[in-house]
Amino acid sequence: MSDEKIIVQVDPDLEDLIPGFLENRNSDVEKLRSALDDNDFVNLRSIGHSIKGVGGGYGFDLMSELGADIESAAKESNADDIREKINQLDDYLQRVEIEYA
Amino acid sequence: MTTKKSESKVKVLIVDDDNDFLNLLENWLTNEKYDIKRAMSGLEALNLVGIYAPDLVITDLYMEGMDGMALLTELHNDNPLLPVIMLSGQAQIPDAVKAMHLGTSAFLTKPINQNEFFETVRRVTSSLTDKTLLNEFTKNIVYKSKEMSDIIEMARLVADNDVSVFISGSTGSGKEVIAKAIHEASSRRDHRFIAVNCGAIPEQLLESELFGHEKGAFTGANVKHEGLFQAANGGTIFLDEVGDMPLALQVKLLRVLQDFEVRPVGSTKTYSIDVRLISATHKNLEEAVENGEFREDLYYRLKVVPLDIPNLADRPDDIPVLAEHFLASYARNNNQDQKRFSPDALKYIVSMPWPGNVRQLINVIDLCATLSKNKSISLSLVKKAVHDDPIQMQTLKESKQAFERNYLLSVLRITHGHVANAAKIAGRNRTEFYKLLNQYNIEPAAFRNKKPVEKEVN
Repeated sequence: MSDEKIIVQVDPDLEDLIPGFLENRNSDVEKLRSALDDNDFVNLRSIGHSIKGVGGGYGFDLMSELGADIESAAKESNADDIREKINQLDDYLQRVEIEYA
Repeated sequence: MTTKKSESKVKVLIVDDDNDFLNLLENWLTNEKYDIKRAMSGLEALNLVGIYAPDLVITDLYMEGMDGMALLTELHNDNPLLPVIMLSGQAQIPDAVKAMHLGTSAFLTKPINQNEFFETVRRVTSSLTDKTLLNEFTKNIVYKSKEMSDIIEMARLVADNDVSVFISGSTGSGKEVIAKAIHEASSRRDHRFIAVNCGAIPEQLLESELFGHEKGAFTGANVKHEGLFQAANGGTIFLDEVGDMPLALQVKLLRVLQDFEVRPVGSTKTYSIDVRLISATHKNLEEAVENGEFREDLYYRLKVVPLDIPNLADRPDDIPVLAEHFLASYARNNNQDQKRFSPDALKYIVSMPWPGNVRQLINVIDLCATLSKNKSISLSLVKKAVHDDPIQMQTLKESKQAFERNYLLSVLRITHGHVANAAKIAGRNRTEFYKLLNQYNIEPAAFRNKKPVEKEVN
């Protein structure tokens, strides 16, 4: 994992919504980890599904891709893949920097 | 003024169990001046619909409890024309097909693209927001009552949907006016609107009138004739009194509606047609179906969207505005100052049973406007006009004459004004036939160009 920032350009109209949106995704990471500890693949799938659905609309395409990966890995109950994707999502959230343009 | 502005905004109800997604849609739509209400479940949405009366519902497919599909079904039980855009995180074709089948206006996959989203929203709400279309729609329809307002709203919504519309209502209630308005407000407005009165054309000629015939298809058919369905291609055909259509022709009409093609009489070739069908009848068609006089399958084909126009007496609120409208138009047409009904005369008009509906009202008003020597039309004159009004019941002679005239017009249309052929079809010799034409002041030469006559004479 690198420390390099990931720059994402977001519509300035969404500026007020972004802090709350990112906070919710950070809490999704926690929920995902806890569901993985419980082997709760139904919940993992559902959270992955919702991250996939919401990320791209705000401009976070990679986030949607990771959500889709988590959803499909959960469908196959593949815990290793899920863990890997959760880590990637966590890393993405730590490094992401917003440019309103 | 602020209230007025917010009233004119398109009202959108957005439904999703994901708060961040609702925030996003609300932000996008509000910036584009839409009026928004949000619901986090199907049930909450259903409760809101009655109060908020949205113009559009945008819903997620997968939600806890009532999902998008169940919500769509419930919404359309109440209002089958309410546009619904379904969103889903899964691009599953069966879901999309099912949603479209259930009447959803569009299906979008999450994550959604902003441009595609707005393109879809604009498309499904275009008939609501296009003020030109709205004006176009209401310019020829005069009403004030809640009953008519509901019908106009329904007709306006359905105008651009290209579904078959079935208008029921008594004679003279304005079925053709509504049909024409639907055509004018639809994307077909640059093509022709052709009205056919199925009850006024003899059975043998109706098939040829509607679907055309080949040269030599029957005695007297010396020229190939393009039917009205083909003539209306790209536009709208209005089949009035469709309940009078004979059973044999009903089968053929059904085939046209199923296959979108017509086969002229005597032809082995079929022609593709793209025609929107609006039909109407004063008959109780359900009863006709039960009695085996009307095909059930055709009935359901025609009646995708039913519009039932109430009798004039059942919407008295419309009578004063209609009276005002017809008095104004009489004054305009006759280059006179507009006359008005005295208060007691107006009261009487509003309380009349009007068995001949709007058509009878027009006759009475024209008669009053003609006879009144004063600017104010008195109660006694109205009573006299109502009593003298011939529309209440046509005499047998008048009915016969109307039929004969329509018959002559049909037969000339089919033979393209060829009198010898027309006479042959009618079973008369040429001299007799010419006599009839003279009697009704019909000029056969007028039928010798190719353009079909647009309207039947009732």
